[in-house]
Amino acid sequence: MSAATPHGSPLGFHSYDPGIMAGSLAMWATAYPVGSGKVDIAGGSARLLVHNVCSVFDVFTVPNSFDPAHALGIFDASIDSMEIQWNGVTRSVLGFSDSTNKFRGDFYECSAKIAVSVTTPIETGHGFHFESDPATTHTDFAQFGVEHNGVFF
Amino acid sequence: MNRDKLLSLARLTRRGFNRRGFIQNAASAGAGLMIGSEMAPTAFAQEAAHRSCPVVPRPIPHLTIPPGAHFFFPGPVDADPVASPNAGHDPSIITDFSGVIANADMIFSGKGTNLNTGQSATYDFHADMRFMSGTFIGLDNENHNGTIGFI
Repeated sequence: MSAATPHGSPLGFHSYDPGIMAGSLAMWATAYPVGSGKVDIAGGSARLLVHNVCSVFDVFTVPNSFDPAHALGIFDASIDSMEIQWNGVTRSVLGFSDSTNKFRGDFYECSAKIAVSVTTPIETGHGFHFESDPATTHTDFAQFGVEHNGVFF
Repeated sequence: MNRDKLLSLARLTRRGFNRRGFIQNAASAGAGLMIGSEMAPTAFAQEAAHRSCPVVPRPIPHLTIPPGAHFFFPGPVDADPVASPNAGHDPSIITDFSGVIANADMIFSGKGTNLNTGQSATYDFHADMRFMSGTFIGLDNENHNGTIGFI
């Protein structure tokens, strides 16, 4: 989650990600509580609801996240709450199978809306709080679906 | 990192830097940013020491270069592999997975507040958020049920 145009970062730079999952090479991945993400194929919707995700860092900028030295520093941060809703299916790709990338499933392209609250604690010296306005959400791309990949392909 | 480079990063951020833009600009500039399989093992040592996840999934095999990380950019699963080799295709970032997924590439606005000064301003964020929920085989070669998020 990083700064975007046109307002960018008027009070300083802030960008959030969990880094590389320890022990793996899964990028910007973190474990959520079981049941926090749900897909309702019949209802044409999906929902992610999480609270107190404390596995993220304020990395300030994407380049700083990728910089192994993290020259700008990185600090503990927390997604206080985040709800993403997917609905309004515009295109279905059913029974899709990709033998090259070894995944298959049914996929539903749609719109999404996000409500997120994130905090960089004041103790870091970079204290910051962001509260999104869900009504401003512009979806570049969104989808939900059922998938089987790798050994489950 | 010298001051000039810091200022350069600052300018990039002010003009609306985002992950995809950064990665693609790095590609066009020939920058040598490599993470994932090519990343030095100590690059995120802070994270390793900071918190651990009880179950560690395997990343998908595909490597998007740059940055050299195991993911596809958001896009249709049936994207043309020639015209769009790194966008679309598998939306999951973990492999050996069976379950439900959702991903959303969004731009949104809100109120940002500097907690040290009390100043507030409108901020825009660009986020590629995903979750994968179901069964997966972890690095321990065991089956696990869980939900993995991509932030």
